Amino acid sequence: MAYVAVSGGEEAIEESIKLLKYYRSGTNKDVSLEAIEKKLSLLVDKVMSEAGLYSPMYAALALKQCEGSTEEAVFLLRAYRSTLKRSCYTNVVNTEDMRIVRRISAAFKDIPGGQILGATYDYTHRLMNFNIGNEKSRRLYKKMKEKISRQRETEVKKFGRVSDLLKNEGLIDKYEEDNSKPDDVTENLLEFPASRSAKLQTLSRADTGYISGLAYSVLRGFGQVHPTVGELRTGYVEIEVPYSDDSDESIYIGEILITEAESLNQSEDKDQLKLSSGYGAVFGRNENKAIAMSVLDYELEKGGDYPPDDEEFVLMHGDSIEMNGFISHLKLPHYVTFQSKLDAVRKTRNENQEQENNNEDQAQ
Amino acid sequence: MEKKRLFKIMNRAERDLIINYAEEIRSRYAVTVIKNPEKSLAMIKMREPVKQGLFYIGEVIITDAVVSIGNAKGRAAAIGDDYDKTLSMAIIDAACNCGCFTHEEELYALEKEQQKQIEKENTLFMKTKVDFHSMDSEA
Repeated sequence: MAYVAVSGGEEAIEESIKLLKYYRSGTNKDVSLEAIEKKLSLLVDKVMSEAGLYSPMYAALALKQCEGSTEEAVFLLRAYRSTLKRSCYTNVVNTEDMRIVRRISAAFKDIPGGQILGATYDYTHRLMNFNIGNEKSRRLYKKMKEKISRQRETEVKKFGRVSDLLKNEGLIDKYEEDNSKPDDVTENLLEFPASRSAKLQTLSRADTGYISGLAYSVLRGFGQVHPTVGELRTGYVEIEVPYSDDSDESIYIGEILITEAESLNQSEDKDQLKLSSGYGAVFGRNENKAIAMSVLDYELEKGGDYPPDDEEFVLMHGDSIEMNGFISHLKLPHYVTFQSKLDAVRKTRNENQEQENNNEDQAQ
Repeated sequence: MEKKRLFKIMNRAERDLIINYAEEIRSRYAVTVIKNPEKSLAMIKMREPVKQGLFYIGEVIITDAVVSIGNAKGRAAAIGDDYDKTLSMAIIDAACNCGCFTHEEELYALEKEQQKQIEKENTLFMKTKVDFHSMDSEA
């Protein structure tokens, strides 16, 4: 059988793309980008984290453009990112300087600075609040602005790390600052064994569901059974870039919201006299992802025989664009390859049938 | 004023205020735009606490611009895509560098107000600090 190249479907494709607009036209009510950014901020955070691009407004636009599909929004942001040049690298961000909005420890009740619950759904009843259906945004906004204006001022303090307490006791290994240039997986393909910087960058931009599932498998027994969250913190970090090449000064360009987690585990040394920690840090408020990342960071550092201990398995399958792209490609025309498979099956069936006929002839 | 401080105040300020300051400078001095405001990416470098190494958490969209007033250059960069505000910040920076910015005291006052707002918001977060009470143990 000869292969025949075919073309066609251009008009159908054009109409299909137009039809997407039809799906977004289901109501005459508008959703502003500001509303998406401010009211669906956890979704926006997830998209920014998986895109590896911090831009709440553009993430909101991407979500609006693709009817709220996370993977499409991530794709749009990544595609847009590729059109921009990278002009600089920021100064090093130290999260010890974070302006904390939430900070808890599952390891210690009393931590210096205290446990700050911040805004969390952890203690809410998961009951539908039907009043929100008719919520007046303007009234809510005004009410909260007035509430803040009535507050007294509380000085913003820095909070030391819980893990530093353990380091000072010698229960966790201390390391000198390593200022070597990190690897950048957006510029160079991952190589194995991967550097620690490449692992952390890859995990931070991985699909939330993917790394949460892998971390869950670790908890279920496919790895270290139950790490303890030493510290989980969310807050604003200041971002600075150098003022100029010939100056020590810097430009404050704004602040971003991030969540980071440190999970504590019993060390693998034979006497088990120390603890080891895993680290996770992600854009926005996305604490399960940060915790899951810390669990996987530890698993990858430790190594082992389970899938979550395998660098290639963990790092090569969690990128939203790559995994969704590959799965998505399955629905595109595979006419030739499928025809080939079909031919193979038909041929085998014919051969088997002929064999059966021959056997029957011989038996007679 | 230290650059970091100047840019923190300007960054947090209402855009109209910064644009007005810049327009005032433009009305008095010849401002040359060396680099028009342009969007680009800055890669964010983080320190991780476990091994104290560096890694990249991701990029952020920034806008930057460079101007000059006479021989004094001024530059600015800010997260986001507000071209007018970024250009205005660069003009103010150039004015600071040539000693012709006259609103420094106002910026200090604004800084106090900005800090106050942050501290008021901070109160809301600090109200969620847990106050543990030990339960009476059974004898």
